[in-house]
Amino acid sequence: MPAEALVARNVAKSYRLRRGLTVDALRGVSLTVHPGERFALLGRNGAGKTTFLRIASTLLVPTSGTVEVFGRDAIADPVAVRSLLAVVPQEGKPFFHLTPREQVYAYLSARGFDRATARARTDEALGQMGLLEVADRLSTTLSGGQRQRTVVATVIATEAPLLFLDEPTIGMDPFARREVWESFRRLSRKGCTILLTTHYLDEAESLSEHLAIIERGRLLTQGTAEGLKQQVGGTLRVSVPDGARIRSELETFGQVVDDGEKLHVVVGPERVQEILALAAREKLQPTVGPVTLEEAFLRAVGRSIDAEG
Amino acid sequence: MTFLGLRWEGTRAFGATEMRVQLHEGLAIATSMIVQVVLLVFVLVLDRSILPYALVGAVVYSVFMLGQRLQNEAAYIRIDHKLTDLYFASPLSAEAYFLGMSAGVLVAYLPPILVLAAVLVVVVHLSLLAVGTLLFVGVAVWFFTCSFGYIISTQFKDNRAIWPYASLITNFFGVLPPVFYPLALLPGYWHPLALLLPTSAAVILIEAAQGGLVAVSGSGLALAAVALSAEAVVAFALAIVWARRSARER
Repeated sequence: MPAEALVARNVAKSYRLRRGLTVDALRGVSLTVHPGERFALLGRNGAGKTTFLRIASTLLVPTSGTVEVFGRDAIADPVAVRSLLAVVPQEGKPFFHLTPREQVYAYLSARGFDRATARARTDEALGQMGLLEVADRLSTTLSGGQRQRTVVATVIATEAPLLFLDEPTIGMDPFARREVWESFRRLSRKGCTILLTTHYLDEAESLSEHLAIIERGRLLTQGTAEGLKQQVGGTLRVSVPDGARIRSELETFGQVVDDGEKLHVVVGPERVQEILALAAREKLQPTVGPVTLEEAFLRAVGRSIDAEG
Repeated sequence: MTFLGLRWEGTRAFGATEMRVQLHEGLAIATSMIVQVVLLVFVLVLDRSILPYALVGAVVYSVFMLGQRLQNEAAYIRIDHKLTDLYFASPLSAEAYFLGMSAGVLVAYLPPILVLAAVLVVVVHLSLLAVGTLLFVGVAVWFFTCSFGYIISTQFKDNRAIWPYASLITNFFGVLPPVFYPLALLPGYWHPLALLLPTSAAVILIEAAQGGLVAVSGSGLALAAVALSAEAVVAFALAIVWARRSARER
């Protein structure tokens, strides 16, 4: 049986601050990513996604725990695994004084690709990212989204067996994001394994075959998007703005999640009318919609993915 | 390609990348000679007799500025662009990244180095020994300054914080010691320090090799040569250790 693409066991990272204080960025995260899988780490800002990704990609040493990449120890022998992986850093930018074509080609050359392969892969990756028209313009003249796509092109051109993508579509317009997602699917079909971090729920749901929700350094739950939604315990979500005064009544229908603006209750269709009647009595205007990954996230974390702090 | 237990694969490719980056910054290259030329004009106007010293100093200063260029470039790439993550999580080793960048920034100061060295050879009628010494100290200063610059670049989390240090370092190594002016103008008790500082040591060694430009004892010259060589080797070794450490945060 071939080795798993990534196996992390009890990975923890603490930072020691002044006056003896410590901050626990990761508290024992364990997960397995299978070869060829698209795996999303979902979490709010500061949840620990990037810390985990940096450890798994050999850029950061954990305080404790183990990480294996295709069966090799990434903590003890990072050099051995670096040829197997490539990373899109969060908010990474290409060299401003290179063109996208030069940027991708130069990176492939530095990784040891021969000229012909590097040229072919460069054109292919730029084409996939919709950058051929601007391939010979200096990156200083590109938009933020085009620069981000240049960085993604640089990494996907490697076709490394394990790709780490830290918020890869940040700053891109919706059309570009979908193009990028498609290129990730294409890589996955070629056998590349993808671990991405994101706080875009639609991205996680559309792109990944397996999701894990991380909060305050802990992995709270994981599974498929459908599986996580089923855990919510209903098919419809009723959201009640300013619903604090009927909270106790709402709690009789199920678990109530407060995102700071609205109270959310997930129920089956048979109980929706009762809640609507209750809200109408209090002159509140609830909305009803299908359960989405957002409810799964709210249920797991207790807060919206966009909530700060 | 392994040498001294270090991996150098990709050095040439990354060096070429960095050279390309520098070549796209034509204005920066064009202006890399301004300080040296302005100082030479001052010397020509005020005291032509120290022109040979100023020319030697201008060449050494240009080489020294390579390290400042690298310092700013390395910090910019790491802090603003986060490209170090892209490169360090790849087969390219930290030592290859550092050496490649050191080679790449050569482009930025190659025009002043070549032009000023040519003027020096013609105006001062540099001897073969002095030319050989110039080459030796040039390489030593390049090793020292790039290593020093790279180490400094890893110490900051904000690009703007580096600027005052860059100015301080440039003045400490390039302007205050007898780089552009004769050692004889410096009070005697400062001479040992001048022999120990890499930039002034390099200048003194070239001037001594030319003959008649500086009066330093044989032991003094030996001290300068040993100090410069040791500083270059130690700084280079430290930079590699530093590069490897900073490639993997703890």
